[in-house]
Amino acid sequence: MRAWLIAAAVAAALALVPAASSAPAAGGCPAAWRSGWQALANRIQAPVYCPTWMPNPLDAKIGGQYIDINSIAKDRSYLVSFLEHGDAGSGDVHVNFRGYPGRSSIPTCTTVVLAGKKTLRGRTPCFADAAGVRRANGITATVYRVNQDADQWHILLAWRHRGSLYTVSEHVIRPYTYRQVVRNLDRLLSGLVLVQPER
Amino acid sequence: MPLTRRELLGGAAAAALAGAGIYELVDKLSPAPSRPVAGPIPTEQHVFDLSSVQSEGVQVLVPPLHSEVVTAAIGTDDLRAAQHDLEQVLRRFDARYSPDPAGLGVTIAWGLPYFEERVPAQARTHLPLDRRAGKPVLLETRRFPSDPSDTRLERNDVAVLLRSDDLAHIDEARKAIFDELGVFRMTSIRRGFAGGGFAGKQSLPKRIAMAAGVPGADLIPDTSELFLGFTSTQKAGLGPRLIANHETLGFVDLRDGYFHGGTHMHLSHISEDLEAWYLNFDFDERVLTSFRPGLTDVKQGTQTVPQRPQDVATVEDLDAGYRKTGRFGHSSSIQPTSRLQHDFVASDGTVYPKGTAIPQRADFNTLDNPFAFSAQPELDKWSDTPTAGVHFVVFNPSGDDFERNRLAMDGVLPDGTKLDVGHRSRAQGFNSILTTSHRQNFLVPPRRHRSFPLAEL
Repeated sequence: MRAWLIAAAVAAALALVPAASSAPAAGGCPAAWRSGWQALANRIQAPVYCPTWMPNPLDAKIGGQYIDINSIAKDRSYLVSFLEHGDAGSGDVHVNFRGYPGRSSIPTCTTVVLAGKKTLRGRTPCFADAAGVRRANGITATVYRVNQDADQWHILLAWRHRGSLYTVSEHVIRPYTYRQVVRNLDRLLSGLVLVQPER
Repeated sequence: MPLTRRELLGGAAAAALAGAGIYELVDKLSPAPSRPVAGPIPTEQHVFDLSSVQSEGVQVLVPPLHSEVVTAAIGTDDLRAAQHDLEQVLRRFDARYSPDPAGLGVTIAWGLPYFEERVPAQARTHLPLDRRAGKPVLLETRRFPSDPSDTRLERNDVAVLLRSDDLAHIDEARKAIFDELGVFRMTSIRRGFAGGGFAGKQSLPKRIAMAAGVPGADLIPDTSELFLGFTSTQKAGLGPRLIANHETLGFVDLRDGYFHGGTHMHLSHISEDLEAWYLNFDFDERVLTSFRPGLTDVKQGTQTVPQRPQDVATVEDLDAGYRKTGRFGHSSSIQPTSRLQHDFVASDGTVYPKGTAIPQRADFNTLDNPFAFSAQPELDKWSDTPTAGVHFVVFNPSGDDFERNRLAMDGVLPDGTKLDVGHRSRAQGFNSILTTSHRQNFLVPPRRHRSFPLAEL
């Protein structure tokens, strides 16, 4: 069933059918997804970006069937991840949203290299190999092609808003090609809606 | 007639792929570079003089646009007649085409099955021996530590390497040797391309990969000589004209000299996971895994990195670098075996300085999966879906010399030092994104004995 869903999703995506969007609430975050994103903004006491479209078959309902990671760190940075893992080799659809309230620099990630019996640890930028910018929706985002941790093998867009860093990324893996992922990210970027924390 | 950009982007390329074959796009996409006038036909079959240009301040050799390897089994028992007929065909091409990319390069290489099964007595007497290794020059093909367990070790009788800027020259040669002569049964055809981007235009590997829509094509730098983003034909990184001959470096016993002017050729097909390379390794890591750890002064986006004799790594450098970083670079790992460790004066008086490269590579990118044609598609796991890869062709003075280089690439160094790195681990950089599907060793006789060697004895 999941394999069928993903295959159908690709066909829909290629035909640019907005199959995974949800009705926006008065130009804002879609009603079906809003409560989760509002709760996130409230928890970290900072604005978050809610998507109004997701690549098929995903939705962006935090707490819904596709949520994979919903994590907030001590510094209030968050990672919200949506994943559809296709059975029988049909592929994955995996989209991550991150925010780093009060921080605009690229974070660093730990690298681990095994040299024989020794483990060598180092640090590397979590997002690297900048490859141009994408502009949409009043956002100018840098494209990063080499990313770490949960964003490994993803194409990632990163931008700054009022002193904070935000990212959205998608895994380059079947059923989506590199070009389709870039197109998906463009569409995600153009539909992002800022959700302010409630006082 | 060249494709217009609109045609290329708008689907004409796809039609061309389906109709005329993907490799004919090379002719449409890139006019032949200007080439110097060729000299006389060399004694060696493998010598193929290339012009050089400056790329990012480094002198590089310009590879032929088209390369093709055809492998075959022998389809006749009358070897003397076959020897005569093949030689007549080859002399026709010698007369018609200059031995350079503007003309045609034809290199006939013979596999162990030919020598063992067709001319066994003569082979026992005349095949050269590697004194340094204490082994024959032509070895049984083997797998290496980073090879998958299912890498196919081939046993073709013969391989013919055809090189030219003009696909029509290659087509003509293949038809004459394999279709018209009637002495061979083709087992595979392997096709590919290289270069085309040194003048600042989009290179052939980039264009062809984009046209075929292979995964990762968008990530290849526009002017890259090869799929992996770096130039590999630095003049200082390739063996000079005669250094790969059996006799030049003095460690091969030529016995009665029948194979003087010959060399050893290794042929393999390697798939390249372009998405893994470009999405998991940032530029700095691609540099350090392609060349050596600690190479920190390479400007972002550089494609041609100097490979000068003074840049050559020693075993001690490699060992120390590996202990510190847990990694070793592809080029630096091979250099202790692929570069001269001291100045050498050859018997013809040529001085080869310390750090001179020994192997002569003739590798080229391909979208074959794994071959353009296979007589045994199931055994070869043949598919018509294009995939990024390389047909690796390299000439060394002996089979053992090739094996020393290839083992070093896996961290097994000639002095016995073994860098304790997991096979295909990220620490090996290149190896982690390469998958070797086929291998075979060949012996390349000198031009005078290129046709069914030893059959006349």
